[in-house]
Amino acid sequence: MKRLLCILALAALAAAAPLRAASDDEVAARKLALEIAGAFSNDGFKLRDGNWCGKFEPGKPALVQVNLYAGNQYWFTVGAGEAAKKIAVTVFDENGKLVATEPYADAAVAAAGFAPKNSGPYYLRVEVTEGAPAAFCLIYSYR
Amino acid sequence: MTPISRIFVSGLAAVCLCASAAGEATPLTPEEISGAARTDELSIPMPGEFMASLNKVAKIDWSKLARLAIGTNYSSRPQNALNLGGLIADGYVAIEAEDAPQIKSIGKDILVISKNLGLSKEVLERGSSIINFADQKQWDQLKEELEATQNEVKAGMAERKDDDLVTLVTVGGWLRATEVMSGYIAKNYSDGGARLLRQPGIVALLNKRLEKLGEKTQEDAVVATVRKKMAGLEKFTAFPLDKPPTAEELKQLSSLISEIMKDITKKQTK
Repeated sequence: MKRLLCILALAALAAAAPLRAASDDEVAARKLALEIAGAFSNDGFKLRDGNWCGKFEPGKPALVQVNLYAGNQYWFTVGAGEAAKKIAVTVFDENGKLVATEPYADAAVAAAGFAPKNSGPYYLRVEVTEGAPAAFCLIYSYR
Repeated sequence: MTPISRIFVSGLAAVCLCASAAGEATPLTPEEISGAARTDELSIPMPGEFMASLNKVAKIDWSKLARLAIGTNYSSRPQNALNLGGLIADGYVAIEAEDAPQIKSIGKDILVISKNLGLSKEVLERGSSIINFADQKQWDQLKEELEATQNEVKAGMAERKDDDLVTLVTVGGWLRATEVMSGYIAKNYSDGGARLLRQPGIVALLNKRLEKLGEKTQEDAVVATVRKKMAGLEKFTAFPLDKPPTAEELKQLSSLISEIMKDITKKQTK
């Protein structure tokens, strides 16, 4: 039942109209990210409905600020279009220092798990490490 | 084995590659930090995240943190938007309290204000889902539904080129969540609780958004008051990592936010 609800919730999220029209590549990237994030949901992580989608290319990573709370656990999951063969998501603290995370990567999807010690702003960098320019979509879950 | 464990076992080789790539990462430059994207959908946390963190430092009776029902017939669109954001945050409080009747009542109020803003189409379906999930006591699904409701309302506003209202929904939601949290921590002070209120990135981002509101929106009396008082919040939420606010400072923060919330819910005289 829980799995069914999760699938229904993911389907609703995938179908929800974003603030701007998404390309097919972007929709595929979001679907990939949601598939992995679904596994985290089964472990009690709540998936945020919001996402950050765009385009990236090798050597030109994209960076976004998030604001996190100490004590929570987070998973940041990024999916990419098929032209990206390998991608990565990296977390930095407010001073730009690399933060150690539990990484996951499998071709055009990558995730980083992290429990901040301090509340405040953090930065997520998503990048293509192998492949061609593609769309990406980043989502996050927390518990 | 949990699903997450399965992911890690099956992706071990890939994990090693990723970990090694991360190990080589150089720190971000100040230019990269200032140029990072800041978006409503990702950079502003939902009230549920804030509340989840507080649940880890204290056992809270969330039912005591609910507020009395607010009005739903404000004459100005900006004030409606601010209160819509606040109501969504109230929904999270009711979910934490596992109070189904309260959630249903808030769901109905969200619908009324959305209709006032011409957005009933966007939230009608969500409204009935909220009621169904509340009847079935599906609290986690309710949190996702509330966020989805907020995002659909904002998408509807953006479609109608009402970007100012998008900002005001966000501001109203953050203010109400912070009112609840700061009020609780001020009354039940702990070092860990006080540290949760460190949110310099959010306050700076919201203040920037408020500065960019259109002239007509800025002329709204409630918006003008919120803008003015929001500027005073930064000093309470931008404290250094090793200097959390004292109980007295938290009382000041709580009192300032409560004042702003009173301004937001007060009916304007024409």
